[in-house]
Amino acid sequence: MTEGALIEADAVVVGAGPVGLFQVFELGLLEIKAHVIDTLAHPGGQCIELYPDKPIYDIPAVPVCTGRELTDNLLRQIAPFGATFHLGQEVTVVRKQEGDAAGRFYMETAKGTRFLTKTVFVAGGMGSFQPRLLRLEGIEPHVDRQVFYRVRDPARFAGKDLVIVGGGDSALDWTLEFAGDTANRARSVTLVHRRDGFSAAPASVAKMKGLVSEGRMSFVIAQPTAIVAEGDELKAVEVTTPEGEVKRLPLEMLLVFFGLSPKLGPIADWGLGIDRKQITVDTEKFESTTPGIFAVGDVNTYPGKKKLILSGFHEAALAAFGAAAYVFPDKRIHLQYTTTSVKLHKVLGVETPTFDN
Amino acid sequence: MTHVVLESCIRCKYTDCVDVCPVDCFREGANFLTIDPDECIDCAVCIPECPVNAIVPEEDVPGDQQHMIKLNAELAKAWPSITKRKAALPDADEWKDRTGKLDQLIR
Repeated sequence: MTEGALIEADAVVVGAGPVGLFQVFELGLLEIKAHVIDTLAHPGGQCIELYPDKPIYDIPAVPVCTGRELTDNLLRQIAPFGATFHLGQEVTVVRKQEGDAAGRFYMETAKGTRFLTKTVFVAGGMGSFQPRLLRLEGIEPHVDRQVFYRVRDPARFAGKDLVIVGGGDSALDWTLEFAGDTANRARSVTLVHRRDGFSAAPASVAKMKGLVSEGRMSFVIAQPTAIVAEGDELKAVEVTTPEGEVKRLPLEMLLVFFGLSPKLGPIADWGLGIDRKQITVDTEKFESTTPGIFAVGDVNTYPGKKKLILSGFHEAALAAFGAAAYVFPDKRIHLQYTTTSVKLHKVLGVETPTFDN
Repeated sequence: MTHVVLESCIRCKYTDCVDVCPVDCFREGANFLTIDPDECIDCAVCIPECPVNAIVPEEDVPGDQQHMIKLNAELAKAWPSITKRKAALPDADEWKDRTGKLDQLIR
């Protein structure tokens, strides 16, 4: 791990879901610039990971939108505030500082990005999204050597005998990448999925089936049931078809794409007040038991809490005002309206409208 | 509030739910899984995972399954945590569509 330069910040938002993104907006109106960290490689959180194409009906003044549309619109809405995104990295350390930096927080991510910040906004939802694992006896020692849950360097798989397991977009996209006419073409590709139905883009499925009929890859309806290893080396995976037939698929690399599921993970270890693995906050500023650390959205709890996106938006607004007291201790913060405030028009980068009456 | 495992789980125990739980609130008995109401955060991620639709939010527990709310809480205190998916019970497919399985529960 290489350690980057220490980034001095006024606000660090942990989580780039809808509430984390709106937190950037509310901070922006108060002229507080934010850094945003997320485990996923893209913003959107649960909206993108769990229901990108499902309609949401309870966003005020938006009769219907999908998770993806909500995310795209929030990104447009916060664009004027120039937040810095640090994606694909999990926060590993949050530590209150003493001495010269007293009152500030040291933060570190798994990629070695380091911050010294005045305020922290935990918008971590149900936790960070981690790959769902293939549970087979003896598979552990092969993980990251011959068994992979994500592809960081496609070239590593070129020219190899691959077995790919899964039926979603990741499984199909990588199948097409390695079985198609690309620089990373594998020697052989076998896709294994438990049924002949996919939760992937229909066009990708059609392309995959085309490659199968051209004899350029194989598709097996089955579930992996055992691994076959010789010494340290994984040689094959055994799969069982719905009819109960066991097939042995020789391989050099096994790629598993079972989707992602959230795990609360290290948030529980940051020394914050926790109730049922959610961060307890007040309902005035949505501040945790540690002054300067706020928690908004699904990750927090308080009497009457409802896990709704719109509740998270409200929480983000009040948390931003709560944070202003730490960022600008000598400044009186006034509530201003985006419709009328010339100052807010400036920060939003819009023209102040003129009325002719 | 919590989520509740209904009778449908008895003698099936598919355990797909366990993998997705962000807070590891499932507890395992011999032929049934239960949710610890003191740990469940009502995120609802487990609901679509269950092949027999055995998990519902507390307020949606049907009238004839109300006893399962108390039973989940009681069994959760006695049973160990399960955090990794494993094979379903061998005769799960035979039992998955049956109802009135409470007398089959092994405590």
